[in-house]
Amino acid sequence: MPPEFVQWLQNAGLATAIRESAIVYPVILSLHLTGMALFGGMILMTDLRLLGIAMTKRPVSEVVEGLRPWKHLGLTLVVTCGFLLAWSKIAIYYPNPFFRLKLGLLTLVTIHALVFRRSVYRNTRELDRSPVIPGRAKLAAALSLVLWIGLVSAGRWIGYWEPKAAAPPTTAQVN
Amino acid sequence: MAFFLAYDPSTNPLNSNEWAFPVCEVMHIIGFATLIGTITMVDLRLLGVGMKKESAADLVRDTAPWTLFGLALVLISGPLIFSSDPNLYLANISFRFKITCLVLAIIYNYTIHRKVALSQTSGGLAAVVAVISLALWASVVFGGIFIAFV
Repeated sequence: MPPEFVQWLQNAGLATAIRESAIVYPVILSLHLTGMALFGGMILMTDLRLLGIAMTKRPVSEVVEGLRPWKHLGLTLVVTCGFLLAWSKIAIYYPNPFFRLKLGLLTLVTIHALVFRRSVYRNTRELDRSPVIPGRAKLAAALSLVLWIGLVSAGRWIGYWEPKAAAPPTTAQVN
Repeated sequence: MAFFLAYDPSTNPLNSNEWAFPVCEVMHIIGFATLIGTITMVDLRLLGVGMKKESAADLVRDTAPWTLFGLALVLISGPLIFSSDPNLYLANISFRFKITCLVLAIIYNYTIHRKVALSQTSGGLAAVVAVISLALWASVVFGGIFIAFV
């Protein structure tokens, strides 16, 4: 994206209002994290169930399907808040390599959901009947854990990266 | 308090190692997501809106080791983050609010919340217990974020 366009995006009324308010920005950030608390813990329980580590007394279908609507609600909250936070400071975030990494991981999470949807997440009756959890379901769960922990890490590291200061002009350039 | 006043945070590896602090923060986020996510599952059941195939009592028993795992992660990473600058945190009103809510939330979780979930109580009382639980944990998260903004 050209820098002028990124700056123009950030100058939009709503983005400016969020960025400049002493209260709105931290409230959205808190909701972003509250969504993670709701949604993140439920992803973990789903993945650990598929891996055969947690809630093993319960059928896979009960855990996966029982948590699904709540994970969707959490995801909606996290993504909406994340979008607003990113938009409000997009000119600052856009050059940040960890921000870009986070967007890349979000793309991978979407691909992951599409790839494993039919065979794992919407196939829980089959998984209930299977005496052992199939490798494909375990692979889906393991990849999900790696991707989500990567997303959280990339998100946190955004705050620790600073753009290199522009090099001071040399005499040759000044003259 | 005197201990903290005499302590020089610059001697803390968390303040000299580039990776240490964000690693603690990631551990903190994963910890509270596990802790609060598993408690929320019980709350949704107490409210009668989620995980309805399982009883609240079974849900508490099934998630308890993971709730404890999440609690352990936050209780390790939290004090480490705190140690990076104790005086700053102690003077911060949002930090004080957060810690108050956290202590109440932990006590509440292992007393009233657990007892009600295990006793198969349902209806109004169960719903009130769940709402208080959700409000306490959300307050902890909000208090934590606002440390950086007050």
